[in-house]
Amino acid sequence: MFIQKNQTMKNDWYFNLYTSNESISETEKKIIEIIDHAKVTPEKRIETKYGLGTLRNLSSGCKTLLNVMKNPDKIVNIEECGKNVLDLLFSLNNIHVYLSRPERIHIDENAKICFNNTDIVTGRQGFEQWWTDEYSRRNSNDI
Amino acid sequence: MIYNAISFQAAPFSYTLEFFDRITLVRGDSASGKTYLYQLLEDLRLTEKYSAIKLYNYKTEDFHENLKKCREKFIVIDNGDLLLDDEDRRFINFEFSNQYMLFLRNCDGLNLSADSFMLLNEDNYTISLKKELVIPLKKQSVM
Repeated sequence: MFIQKNQTMKNDWYFNLYTSNESISETEKKIIEIIDHAKVTPEKRIETKYGLGTLRNLSSGCKTLLNVMKNPDKIVNIEECGKNVLDLLFSLNNIHVYLSRPERIHIDENAKICFNNTDIVTGRQGFEQWWTDEYSRRNSNDI
Repeated sequence: MIYNAISFQAAPFSYTLEFFDRITLVRGDSASGKTYLYQLLEDLRLTEKYSAIKLYNYKTEDFHENLKKCREKFIVIDNGDLLLDDEDRRFINFEFSNQYMLFLRNCDGLNLSADSFMLLNEDNYTISLKKELVIPLKKQSVM
């Protein structure tokens, strides 16, 4: 199964409308602190260097990470994420994400990654090899 | 170039953004302040000096059509990885009257130089653009 970019969710929009209304676990608060350096108050406000705000003011990368964690059944577009978010994302189990190009990501050498519901590779080396083969395929098909 | 630099105060921060190429890509980690800058530019563009600024993000209606109408504008696009298709990228390459600041990670299909790649940098409440790619100077040959 191949997923097109327009079949994935718009992360900011989905987070603002849905994910932000769900409860936040201590793990998720910790992630918000790591990525956005933001403290979440009991009333679900955030305190950052930019001032006080709501969860809607979190970065797109942080919203994406929370969308992934809270929607394990959905395919989430992670193309907007910086390396700080991608490293965390690829340490999670059983996630479904969309990425149309390789990125410099820390991937555990034993991590299993399944591409397009068909190709299963292991670790950073397997990830790089899959993308090398994918670019050869795209070149030969003039994509 | 429409603007060689954009400077303004947004207490407690002071912004001085210098541009060295017609197309500037702002990348880097998530939560580095890209969308916050975009929100500040929404106010700044209402001043006479910066009235050439045009802003687009995932909330923009008819983005592709509106982009193609732009001439002699300083175009800022947030969520570029979600918004830009191949045709938009061609327009950006060949409509030379516009200048661009793109919050975008995937640079495929864009005509860029080393000066295009920038990171948002904060030093003691002063925000600037810092070159992402540092190309070592060639050793001067001695005649």
